[in-house]
Amino acid sequence: MTPVGGVVDEPATSPEQGARDPDRPARSRLGGARLAAYLLTVYVLVTINFFLPRALPGDPIDALLDPSQPAYLQNERLRAEITAYYGLDRPIGVQYVDYLADLARGDLGTSIRYNVPVADLLAERLPWTLLLVGAGLTAAVIVGLSAGVHSGWRRGGRDDRRLLALFLGVSNFPAFFLASIALFVFAVQLGWVPLAGARTPFASGQSWFTQVADVAHHLALPAAVMAVSVAADYFLVMRAGMVGELGADHLLGGRVKGLRERRLKYRYAARNALLPAVSLVAARVGTAVSGLTIFIETVFAYPGIGRLVFDAVSFRDYPVLQACFLVLALLTVTANLGADLAYTRLDPRVRA
Amino acid sequence: MSALLEVDDLAVRFGDVDALRGVSLRLDRGQSLAIVGETGSGKSTLAHCLTGLVQPPRATGSVRIDGQELLGADPETLRGLRWRTVALALQGAPFNPVATVGEQVSEPLRAHLGMGAAQARERAGQLAAELLLDTAALARYPHQLSGGERRRAALAAVVALDPALVILDEPTAGLDPATSRDLIDRVRSLAATRGFALVVISHDLPAAARLASRSAVLYAGELMETGATDRVIGEPTHPYSWALVNAYPVMTTTKDLRPIRGSPPDPRDVPAGCPFHPRCPQAEAVCWEEHPPLEASRGRLVACHFGGLKTMLTATDLHRGFGSGRARTRVLHGVSLTVRAGEAVGVIGPSGSGKTTLARILAGHLQPDAGAVELEGAPLPGSWKRAARALRRRVQLVLQDPWDALSPRLTVAQLVREPLDVAAAGDAEERDSAARTELAGVGLPTSPGFLAARTHELSGGQLQRVALARALIVRPRVLVADEPTSMLDASEQARLLVLLRERHVELGLALVLVSHDLAVVRKVTDRIVVLEAGRVVEEGPSHLVSSAPRSVTARRMLDASPILAPIEANPGLDTPDDGGLEMAATEGG
Repeated sequence: MTPVGGVVDEPATSPEQGARDPDRPARSRLGGARLAAYLLTVYVLVTINFFLPRALPGDPIDALLDPSQPAYLQNERLRAEITAYYGLDRPIGVQYVDYLADLARGDLGTSIRYNVPVADLLAERLPWTLLLVGAGLTAAVIVGLSAGVHSGWRRGGRDDRRLLALFLGVSNFPAFFLASIALFVFAVQLGWVPLAGARTPFASGQSWFTQVADVAHHLALPAAVMAVSVAADYFLVMRAGMVGELGADHLLGGRVKGLRERRLKYRYAARNALLPAVSLVAARVGTAVSGLTIFIETVFAYPGIGRLVFDAVSFRDYPVLQACFLVLALLTVTANLGADLAYTRLDPRVRA
Repeated sequence: MSALLEVDDLAVRFGDVDALRGVSLRLDRGQSLAIVGETGSGKSTLAHCLTGLVQPPRATGSVRIDGQELLGADPETLRGLRWRTVALALQGAPFNPVATVGEQVSEPLRAHLGMGAAQARERAGQLAAELLLDTAALARYPHQLSGGERRRAALAAVVALDPALVILDEPTAGLDPATSRDLIDRVRSLAATRGFALVVISHDLPAAARLASRSAVLYAGELMETGATDRVIGEPTHPYSWALVNAYPVMTTTKDLRPIRGSPPDPRDVPAGCPFHPRCPQAEAVCWEEHPPLEASRGRLVACHFGGLKTMLTATDLHRGFGSGRARTRVLHGVSLTVRAGEAVGVIGPSGSGKTTLARILAGHLQPDAGAVELEGAPLPGSWKRAARALRRRVQLVLQDPWDALSPRLTVAQLVREPLDVAAAGDAEERDSAARTELAGVGLPTSPGFLAARTHELSGGQLQRVALARALIVRPRVLVADEPTSMLDASEQARLLVLLRERHVELGLALVLVSHDLAVVRKVTDRIVVLEAGRVVEEGPSHLVSSAPRSVTARRMLDASPILAPIEANPGLDTPDDGGLEMAATEGG
């Protein structure tokens, strides 16, 4: 959360130094409460994640009964066996307890479609999604926030008007549309980046550097689309924060001290305007992982969780879906916890 | 050598709002100046201008510090000047909420002097110690400090670079009195040791008076009065400064607080002429036509066409006796008295001291044997000629006994409109409606039943209010009230006094209140004149006369004034059993 250049340049006296004695117990107590709330949220999520699919109409066995489905099974005995195999014939309470126990062991079940442990599938897919979301959001934070700082500080200026028009325009395109356009222009027409995938298939024996370059080459376009989809929100919130800070008394106080513009801009205005932006950065992690990844990974055939969700939905691959939803939900609440903790670090007023 | 601070004809306009209009000031090194005024008078804008925060085209005129023009100066020049030469402590001591106080105190040291972090921190510690601020406070964040600590920290930052000029904007606003007092003392000692010039901007008059040897009163973005503080705040002469000082509660005030009538002008539409004229008790045609310049008057500069508060009524060396030959008793022996516009003067004295005679002479109902009464500088005529009547109507008299003073044959409506009938002002309808307005103004009903009532149907308090309405309907400049409450019970008396004070402020009257009751007079008046056997034995501000009288007469009246205190507190009656109470009850009966 320290990407905007110069925003968090270290103060002359370390912020913690004097506040240590009175604040230390309060802060750890606060941290403990946050952690407890976080764990409770996770438990609720897990529970919802168990019950929600079962509350929906249709179940995986129905798919086996449907002649139009590729998984169609004629043998009634076999169907019963499969039902028993997945434990779907037992009382729901027992299923729930079993589910929790399995989860604790890291056993997420077996994919109906691929017939491999879901945990293995996730282990293979999750890193790609984390890479995509991480790269996309980092770029969005850097671009959105620094453009917001620049724009808000010179509110009404030429740069401000242009940036505002640009970001407002871009943010009105849906992500899948942006992704398709980008794919067509940069991969098909210009041929700058590969069409699909996360790395060149069947390549082996390459050097470490070539592999990284290859991954980056594949990553560039999907990550850029994600960045563009999210950056407008970051830009707008940061800009609004800066505009709000322009009239703040403490900024006037800094100005009458005869401080340089740069220090006023970053240490006084941006540092305070950053606080509302932090919450949004985290909130958008949830949107990005649960929404954007599905579109973007599907369009770019990127082997991440989003793509996995898309496929699992088409095949009613319940164990996979359930596990994916759980992972996405956990990512979201973890990002929010991270934002909370970052906020505590950034704003001394919420510490006390 | 030029002055440290020179402001010439400074005007500031924000959109359609005139924040400052033609302000000129001068301040030499080491001098101190207080700028006082109501909220919205442009005080903070002036402070901002003095550090170049307001620039053309909003600001016009000239602001020079050490000969350097601030209006239109380039940002680098301003940056170099700020804090090194002129340091402004903003209202409310705003700090960056996300940086420690210590960082913000040492910030200018690093930015202007290029000190390293450790050196700046050490210097900040010394500054904090000088301000009697706990150095541990420097490591805290602004929200962790009390209001007083924040001000001290702000002061430590302000003096960090030893500026030649320090500007404090509302340094004591929001502080409790003890903290405020401490802070003022700190500023005084800092100013004494470091020798900086000081501009204090405040609506806190006592704070301003303690901090600055000179004062300027700002109203609607204009200077109304400037001069030595003991004159401007001690004896204000501009009607606005006078009203401002009178509105301020201090421990020495005995009368009820008096708000300034009307409300501050809309900065989008400042009245033409003198901006204070709609609220001024002495405004005349010239006041709304011409803009008064700031001119020398009574030992200071005053922006008033009349050089300050007019003297409404002057009585000089009045003598009067009754009877003839040997039986002649002389009641007044050379009484002199002045009443300024909007002022309330109490005349007290024991029975037979000549109070009522004086009241009648002041109101023009009795001619003095010698001496003169002047109303607004012209002799008060004794004749009832047509030309004299209009002038005489400008002084009205309310008498002690309303049953006696009001004709029992007339209805309430007739009583109140009679003065207009005599003056032949307007037609009958206008007079009736004026009478109703006036009755409503003194808190009486205007129902047909009440208007048709006669004096015997009304209570004493109601009658006295009818008498007051009758006096006020001709819009006098001076009202003389002779023992107006002595026939009323305590509740009615309180109501009439509150009413009298309200009408006095509302109409901008000069009031002479004659009474033997010191407790009553000191609640209503600004100044008290003590009469004894036809001579003035003491004269002074109400709070002094009623708390520390110098004359024997006043002291006797003070001792005799009623005090509500438990009987047990009286040592003469102090007995432990119930007997004391019984005894007191017996004595009282």
